[in-house]
Amino acid sequence: MKEKWRLLITEKNSAYRNMAMDRAELVSISKGNTPPTVRFFTWKPRAISIGYFQSLEDEVNLDACKSLGVDYVRRITGGGAVFHDKELTYSIVIPESHSQVSKNIMESYGRICGAIIKGLKQLEIDSSYIPINDIIADGKKISGNAQTRKAKTVLQHGTILMDVDVEEMFSLLLVPNEKIRDKMISDVKQRVTSIKHILGKDISFNQIADAMRIGFEEEFNIELNKGILTDEEIELTNKFEKEFFSTKEWNHRR
Amino acid sequence: MQSRSIYKIPNGKLLKIFLEYNEKTNLIYELKITGDFFAYPEEAIEIIEKELKNALLNKEILIKKIDSIVKKNQIEFIGLNPEGLTQGILMCLK
Repeated sequence: MKEKWRLLITEKNSAYRNMAMDRAELVSISKGNTPPTVRFFTWKPRAISIGYFQSLEDEVNLDACKSLGVDYVRRITGGGAVFHDKELTYSIVIPESHSQVSKNIMESYGRICGAIIKGLKQLEIDSSYIPINDIIADGKKISGNAQTRKAKTVLQHGTILMDVDVEEMFSLLLVPNEKIRDKMISDVKQRVTSIKHILGKDISFNQIADAMRIGFEEEFNIELNKGILTDEEIELTNKFEKEFFSTKEWNHRR
Repeated sequence: MQSRSIYKIPNGKLLKIFLEYNEKTNLIYELKITGDFFAYPEEAIEIIEKELKNALLNKEILIKKIDSIVKKNQIEFIGLNPEGLTQGILMCLK
């Protein structure tokens, strides 16, 4: 019989709440209180997330975020700044000791990205994993991923781009040198793609979530059963949202 | 003296350093290591920043010191390495 993992679908949460949920799941799963969990989610309002080690003031145009109503949040994972707009974001939380997860970080990136690649295949998109943390289709990036390990538990989250507006993205992100802004925009346009761009049509969040569900089930030989956050996780989410992810101390710490 | 550098680690990520140092003694006063790299555990970067306080801005000394902090704290870098980190720090020197 196939192992049963939990599937959460939580649309339209704030950046603070989304990051708090991932961390709450990590705590609960590290204690063995809930099974390994895959979550598909979206962001409302739209938001920039930055990597744990990035400097907020160096990466994000805070005035532009304010005027466009875009939130910003520091992740607990490393990696780069991401504009979460038209995308499906996933997270997976699983004990480090689980047989399906390698102790080796790079191997586990490859394995989890394998689920996304199988999901994209369901949508008839061929893609491949490019270390360190990208998935490419048609030679261009369609998904970025970031992993952390805490309390002997793996958390990986990542994006699957449904559509992308590179100009708007760059109005929100700072570039090291203003003189090369136009070049950077054209470079990124060359290097980034989306489901819409490849298929030439809009695919809904639910269609992509269904495809990704199959991708995770196939890659890990499991059954994903739709569930909800436990009371403990809701309490932890509220706490982390209030005490960490929505605070200036956390977001401006670098 | 305060200074900044941006350094793309070969086959790695983009490292951004803020350095405050004593020009006469070439000792580090304050160091901030930022960028889109990965380090496990994440707190490792703060340990490195603290332990490099008062270190001499010299290539061999910095690589040796970072190597020893990495070993002692079982730090794993992805997209970053002690040589690249040292290079980024030394690029701040005017």
